[in-house]
Amino acid sequence: MAVTTYSGAEQYNFDIVKKFAVMSLVWAVVGMFAGVYIASELAWPFLNFDSPYFSFGRFRPVHTSAVIFGFGGSALFATSYYVVQRTCQTRLISDGMASFTFWGWQTVIVTAALSYVMGYSQGREYAEMEWPIDILIEVVWVTYLILFVGTIMRRKQPHIYVANWFYLSFILATALLHTFNNLAMPVDLFSMKSYSLFSGTQDAMTQWWYGHNAVGFFLTAAFLGMMYYFVPKQAGRPIYSYRLSIVHFWALSFMYMWVGAHHLHWTALPDWTSSLAAAFSILLLMPSWGGMINGIMTLSGAWDKLRTDPVMRFMIVALSFYGMSTFEGPMMSLKEVNALSHYTDWTVGHVHSGALGWVAMISFGSLYHMMPKLWDTKIYSRKLVEWHFWLATIGIVLYIVAMWISGITQGLMWRAFDEFGNLQYSFVESVAAMMPFYAMRAIGGMFFLTGAAMMAFNMFMTIRQGKRESAALEAKLAAKMAHA
Amino acid sequence: MEWLMWFSKPENTKPLALIIFFVTFVGILIYVYGSKKRGKQLESYRDIPFLDDQPGDKDDTKDKQ
Amino acid sequence: MNINFKHEWIETNIGLMAVLTMLAISVGGLVEIAPLFFIDKTIEKVEGVRPYTPLEQRGRDIYIREGCYTCHSQMIRPFRDEKLRYGHYSLAAESQYDHPFQWGSKRTGPDLARVGGKYSNEWHVQHLVAPRSMVPESVMPNYPWLMSTPLDISDAAARMKALRKVGVPYSLSQAEYDANVTKFGETVAKQLHIPDAQKNLVEQANFGNYDGDRSGISEMDALVAYLQVLGTMVDFSKYADDAFVADR
Repeated sequence: MAVTTYSGAEQYNFDIVKKFAVMSLVWAVVGMFAGVYIASELAWPFLNFDSPYFSFGRFRPVHTSAVIFGFGGSALFATSYYVVQRTCQTRLISDGMASFTFWGWQTVIVTAALSYVMGYSQGREYAEMEWPIDILIEVVWVTYLILFVGTIMRRKQPHIYVANWFYLSFILATALLHTFNNLAMPVDLFSMKSYSLFSGTQDAMTQWWYGHNAVGFFLTAAFLGMMYYFVPKQAGRPIYSYRLSIVHFWALSFMYMWVGAHHLHWTALPDWTSSLAAAFSILLLMPSWGGMINGIMTLSGAWDKLRTDPVMRFMIVALSFYGMSTFEGPMMSLKEVNALSHYTDWTVGHVHSGALGWVAMISFGSLYHMMPKLWDTKIYSRKLVEWHFWLATIGIVLYIVAMWISGITQGLMWRAFDEFGNLQYSFVESVAAMMPFYAMRAIGGMFFLTGAAMMAFNMFMTIRQGKRESAALEAKLAAKMAHA
Repeated sequence: MEWLMWFSKPENTKPLALIIFFVTFVGILIYVYGSKKRGKQLESYRDIPFLDDQPGDKDDTKDKQ
Repeated sequence: MNINFKHEWIETNIGLMAVLTMLAISVGGLVEIAPLFFIDKTIEKVEGVRPYTPLEQRGRDIYIREGCYTCHSQMIRPFRDEKLRYGHYSLAAESQYDHPFQWGSKRTGPDLARVGGKYSNEWHVQHLVAPRSMVPESVMPNYPWLMSTPLDISDAAARMKALRKVGVPYSLSQAEYDANVTKFGETVAKQLHIPDAQKNLVEQANFGNYDGDRSGISEMDALVAYLQVLGTMVDFSKYADDAFVADR
């Protein structure tokens, strides 16, 4: 074992990890650019350019799919393949299947984005892909499941490390959610158009069961898996409490599935459903914070790393934002708060404090840790990592603050009455009041995007550097052999 | 078969479900935190991520520079 | 409790772990979703709600295609301000034929659940083509292509057939048609008859002339027809103010 180079190309399939890691950065830049663009459209509507292809309604799913499934999904494929191989000390069971998940998944993202701008959409948030794409996702996902479980079964280590539990529950839950939320009847076999199997209230419930659990399992459980491996590795010390991680896992897996209906407070959904969901949302605070504490406390005794290690800083800030948004979420699920916050930008701000603050930051941290190892080199520029960190953090703060103010303003303006008991503001007055905050949000997004682009450049240079180093090493070896 | 009807009423099944899940949860807690020996065993799994590190790779968080 | 039980069984057996995880994540969905299909209170009993006509349904398809739901909700909540601004709170019954639902989650623009009949067709057309010519502060995109794109009516019947398969009572046979006559009355039943889909669509578009241009049927015709029917099916003057809230 000692003779192999670090990348261990023989022992592990790192090729697939590299591919997904690179695509994750590509989709980060593309998806965040789309996000900045649609944010700008709201501030400066001329950017819609009277074109169907760029109009907000068609472009918004391009943003959400590219960042969630393109960036987040690719980062999850990359890290899960990396983590499962290294914690089970075995190679993925099939290179062919791994390769299929890569090309299949990238095809999904590209065709989804193209289909949205061309006007094909199921009209369900975060599940806009039409039925042929849904079927491809299903096939890729089942392959992923078989590959992941198969690899675990071949492990050399008797115990399955907790990060893999989280990845497993993410894969299972996503399969379940995707399947049931996308049941639809195509107009005919050659038509991209379909109609969902459910209607009205039942459809709404199914969609938000999916919608919130996409957050719960895709954007939370899976990234917790990432956290449970990469935070200890980067800190160079084991996770704070393994026992806490067991409790954390079962509580989170069980409770998340109940909370989706808090998106439907005060709607035509029967009251008991959304009230039950709210109750579970409050309970969910405990496992969420258990996970956060477990991550942050891993650093106890090595707090100086926060000062010296910018990669560690990404991870700890990610955990802090995780803690913040998992506190904000239950609060917003209270019916009285929700009456104000629902339908406003507050929700958008909340989603982004989770998505930018938690998901993106923990991914950046993990990729900064993993990518130099994959190419057996060091990070090209630590200075750029520092810059990225500050740009991202400032960007998030600008974004969230803008959305808090605009969201609460909207909510208050809509329900304001004058002294005669009439509505004080017309709707469009609330739209006009949003303008400065929409601009501020777009600028926050630009900060975040710039940081991501810097990272992409930094990693590109890192890869180039790694390749050069290994080429030089090989040349040296060859020369030695020739002399011998 | 009459007793099966008891389960068809939400006012019966709701507390029942609550009890079942609560007991399961407490069971997990007791299992995880109940025994010192088992606790030690469980905590030993913390080191799994570090088992496949290569020699010379121990301090991998530092740059090689 | 079985003293031989070991969490290690789960931790070291991936199959068992997968099953238990699946169990843990399935409960919530089952408990909350399944009853909605069986509790008959989920959907209120009201008169007047009918499936969309072929033209309205095509308009709805365009509404979904353009992603209108990303900025407009169709779900009025039972609050005083929403009642004043938008009208009577929405009922589950009103979206019972909506595949998919379009309740939305964001009001960058106003709620549209009861926009039908509030503005003239001319207003809608002008507003969709150039929103800021009607409402200067609006941030809505312009939709000029709706006016210039002829509506594809070739698959109107196929679309209704697909909707029929998922439970919308469009009729194919005489028996189904007769059932619709009993349920919705003859005028509506005719509109729901799939064999006459194209004929009905053309007739409604020509008669309604929604886009103000008689030279052909545009996508604008369909979309405005859809917008104009939103929230108008139930006559709320027949019901007491709190007739439905008790159901929730």
